[in-house]
Amino acid sequence: MTSAAPYIVLRAEKLTKAYPVGRGRRLLALDGVDLEVAAGETLALVGESGSGKSTLARCALRLVEPSGGEVWINGRPVRPLGAMALAALYREVQMVFQDPNASLNPRMTVRQVVHEPLRLHLSMPAEKRERRAQTLMDMVGLTAAHLDRYPHELSGGQRQRVGIARALAAEPNLLILDEPTASLDVSVRGQILELLRRLQVELGLAYLFISHDLQVVRHMADRVAVMYLGGIVESGPTREIFERPLHPYTRALLSAAPVARFGAKRQRLRLAGEIPSPIDPPDACRLVGRCPLQQESCASRRPPLLNVGAGRTLACPVALA
Amino acid sequence: MTVPLLEVEGLSGAFRSPGGEMTPVLFDVGFALQPGVITAIVGETGSGKSLTALSILGIQPPNFQRSSGRILFEGRDLLALPAEEIRAIRGRRISMVFQDARAALNPVFTVGRQLADVHRLHHGGSAAAAMCRAIEALRSVAIPEPERRARQYPHEFSGGMAQRAMIAMAALVCAPRLVILDEPTTGLDVTIQAAIMELIAELVAERGLTACLITHDLGVVAETCANVVVMQSGRVVEAASTEAIFTRPRHAYTQRLLAASLLEDSAEPVPA
Repeated sequence: MTSAAPYIVLRAEKLTKAYPVGRGRRLLALDGVDLEVAAGETLALVGESGSGKSTLARCALRLVEPSGGEVWINGRPVRPLGAMALAALYREVQMVFQDPNASLNPRMTVRQVVHEPLRLHLSMPAEKRERRAQTLMDMVGLTAAHLDRYPHELSGGQRQRVGIARALAAEPNLLILDEPTASLDVSVRGQILELLRRLQVELGLAYLFISHDLQVVRHMADRVAVMYLGGIVESGPTREIFERPLHPYTRALLSAAPVARFGAKRQRLRLAGEIPSPIDPPDACRLVGRCPLQQESCASRRPPLLNVGAGRTLACPVALA
Repeated sequence: MTVPLLEVEGLSGAFRSPGGEMTPVLFDVGFALQPGVITAIVGETGSGKSLTALSILGIQPPNFQRSSGRILFEGRDLLALPAEEIRAIRGRRISMVFQDARAALNPVFTVGRQLADVHRLHHGGSAAAAMCRAIEALRSVAIPEPERRARQYPHEFSGGMAQRAMIAMAALVCAPRLVILDEPTTGLDVTIQAAIMELIAELVAERGLTACLITHDLGVVAETCANVVVMQSGRVVEAASTEAIFTRPRHAYTQRLLAASLLEDSAEPVPA
């Protein structure tokens, strides 16, 4: 950390999303999450299905309306914004989705896809838009010829490049990448990750990178936040988290990830059972009932996420002791 | 080398478009499955790995036309057998686990009923006895409270639990010689995936099963499989022991695939 405070692109405080599920019960998809993404850095959110990582991203942009907490983007609080101001805010933060088949309109050519944000956010005249569209194609490793294509005429990797070009069109300083390589073959995955790294350096972008693929996270992220059942259980610099994971959930997750290496035997930390229901969770550690380190105190109250030094946070007093 | 349980030899074929055009998709595919171990067939989208696996059971898409090849199982060519003999082998001698277990199970019957029905189909006996076997099978794949779970419907199962139930059906209730697993852990979380792969490895080791794992994930392969067949664009490019594939890959494509899987910087772009 340098002495000057880094410029914070995205900050969330006590961000909460609860869905009523009838009979007065609530499904707590996101449970009071705090997080910060600094300019130019990549923060990865990792966790399994139902951990709340996608809900967090959607709440941060108010694609899903949060039920509590606050979000600031480039210092501006997001929750009080009206529809027009919110639309204007999307110039500064854009999203790349997992499945470009679903997130690109099949009836729009690549040109129309890329022109749309230029028209809506920047009110660019047609001629300027076309020049910018060609620049964007170049930036993401496509050619001007691709502008006339429809999504179905492109490969999966090319489609994701179009998704990235669309996100970059209005020159945001933060991209939220929701599993951007999960639907791609491994050989294409590497190329898309390389592209994202290059663009980050060239354009000074900050990334909130959501992924369940730990290999990808290790490759891409500066910092990692591990989510489980709606909350962050551990966060810190990527190298620290991967080499010295502290929270039992992080350890279980890392030790379960398959590695394409022969004889890579690891000590596997096993959790009992499966992820419990997020409906009306008890005031206890989220991992209660599954954790090999569990003690009596774990079931009596929720351990807070504490600063444990070296830029790390941890919600497990037992692992610290 | 022992005698292989199954051998695919010179399998070639093409897809027929509605207009009658033929697009070749499999080119002289050949490999052998050794008994008692897991053999992986690894490849990316369009490599022909699933089509090859489906061909073993004779459940390839109807617009696929084989032009040549044999699939020898216990000394007989499966591709030359009449339909009723294939049906006798399908399920009973060779069974299959699909990627999305909740989609593969019938949503309107309880999981226990479906396992029991399969048991009676293959082994006969009373409905009550078959249900006992079904519950036993669910217990063997570590599904908690199997008696209660057997009375539940597929939508009440998580993805991981449903895949355990499918494995119970394919590997235990069917009691086959060979199980073909088509991307059995794709779409499951990593902790669940690890547990499912452990279960498969256990069943193979304890019950003398032979398994063929179709996957795109070399990470899953490294820990559990004995042999690997690498496919690219409808061809087998390399087949060897897992150790040889991972430590001494010979084909350039295998090398690139390994590098890409590990996200090593040496990963050259792989042409489509």
